Amino acid sequence: MPEAEGTLERSVARLNSLLEVSRALAVEFDLDPLLAMILEKAASILEAERSTIFLYDPSARSLRLHLSAELARGSVVVPLGVGISGQVAQTRQLLNIPDAYADARFNPQFDRETGFRTRSILCAPLLSHKGALVGVIQLLNRVGGGTFGEDTEEMLRAFASIAGVAIDRATLVEAALEAERAEESLRLAHDIQMSMLPRHLPTGPGLDMSASLTPARSVGGDFYDVLKVGDRVWFAVGDTSGKGVGAALFTAMTLTLFRVAATIARDPGEALSRMNRELARDNESLMFVTVFAGTLDLASGDVVYANAGHPAPYILRPDGVTALDAPPSPALGVVEAIDYPLGRMNLAPLEGLLLFTDGVTEAQNPSGALWGSEPLEVFLRDRRMDVCAKLIERLVASVQAFEAGAPPADDLTVMALRRGPPNG
Amino acid sequence: MSLEIREDRRETGLLLSPVGRIDSNTSGELERALLAKGAEPRLVVDLSDVEYVSSAGLRVFLMLARKVKAADGRLALCALPPSVRQVFDLAGFTALFTVESSPDQAFERLSS
Repeated sequence: MPEAEGTLERSVARLNSLLEVSRALAVEFDLDPLLAMILEKAASILEAERSTIFLYDPSARSLRLHLSAELARGSVVVPLGVGISGQVAQTRQLLNIPDAYADARFNPQFDRETGFRTRSILCAPLLSHKGALVGVIQLLNRVGGGTFGEDTEEMLRAFASIAGVAIDRATLVEAALEAERAEESLRLAHDIQMSMLPRHLPTGPGLDMSASLTPARSVGGDFYDVLKVGDRVWFAVGDTSGKGVGAALFTAMTLTLFRVAATIARDPGEALSRMNRELARDNESLMFVTVFAGTLDLASGDVVYANAGHPAPYILRPDGVTALDAPPSPALGVVEAIDYPLGRMNLAPLEGLLLFTDGVTEAQNPSGALWGSEPLEVFLRDRRMDVCAKLIERLVASVQAFEAGAPPADDLTVMALRRGPPNG
Repeated sequence: MSLEIREDRRETGLLLSPVGRIDSNTSGELERALLAKGAEPRLVVDLSDVEYVSSAGLRVFLMLARKVKAADGRLALCALPPSVRQVFDLAGFTALFTVESSPDQAFERLSS
């Protein structure tokens, strides 16, 4: 029985190869090399001219070509139930097609595109160890012609079950790594953002001051800063568009420029113009940052300010709360040459300012409603004479009470400053 | 998140009308769709069916303005709902754009 012996020998050789593959697949955790190995081994062990792998995309309920000799990844998308691979994916049953062109389900388009001539097809589902569909594997054209035999069907089933589990595992590892990378870059953005904030505010007998920044999970764009330069205190609150590490770096650059500008510029208008010129230069991504910047003369209470696209602060006076007249000029970073006009006002002893970012007025509750500026004004009327630290603490608590556990969509930043009592 | 963008080819130029919210979820899509039209000689974006624009959305309009300008084209925005107008105003960006109250007025302004 020489023929039977030959068949047996071949089967043993194939089983050995399968064993080898299962060992190799067990240690490969990277999806791409894993799939390349599966394809190469499938064709060589199972004696096919070609093999292709489609991965299943559950959200689109379709198969996406992942790897083949000629066609680009993703260039072929097959809905579940359509064509031979789509049917195998839907029924999770192996299909053995002796003559592709005689089968109505066969789509000859890929042959036309690649110049390959498909004759026989053996197609099997790839399943995870929990039985979820991962994709399908296709063998094309039995080497030497004819139909794929029952023994090859069995081998492909065994092969596909090993490959399915390996692909599923690699996909999970990849997703976990991706999540870790995303988490890492969020952490980096927060570290950059928080490390740039001033550690001490220049409070003293003539000045009460407090500030708070509560970062949202995926944003890194708010900042505040305070510097004492000579007899004046420079202060600024800002909000960078965008999120993540890019926004955090843009914010860091803005803060650095503010600190330099505060020491050389005559007034906040000139400071914003200088900062804008630097930020707008080669700003390919057109990120921008809104900034309200001002100076307070500690002796006279004179405040000089300029506004680059930021919400206007409130004036806190013993007899009430009013919005500061601060019409916005363009945010920094967009148009290179802009003059920022100055506003002027005077703070009498015990009068103060409340600066904030739109994380306050656009705070959302779980049903999506915004806090808005009215509740902020009501709060400020009630609390306008509180010590700054208390005022800030209570304001942040009020916003968070409104949010009622809804994850904030934006950073939340507030700063309060108030002149001390007369002759203090 | 998907954002519908209606297109109306007129004799006077191309009118694009995005529909919905332009925030960080949809701004990427808007950016691709609008920037693909950056070489139009006369482009008007109708914002009457836009309910919200975030700062990420503002950035898309800045990028479009730059692209149209680089191609020597002209761009106008029109029919901004008050809440959208407020976002442009607050960021100080309204003055950077040609803004009209209707598509017809916008095209008229661009061909003058």
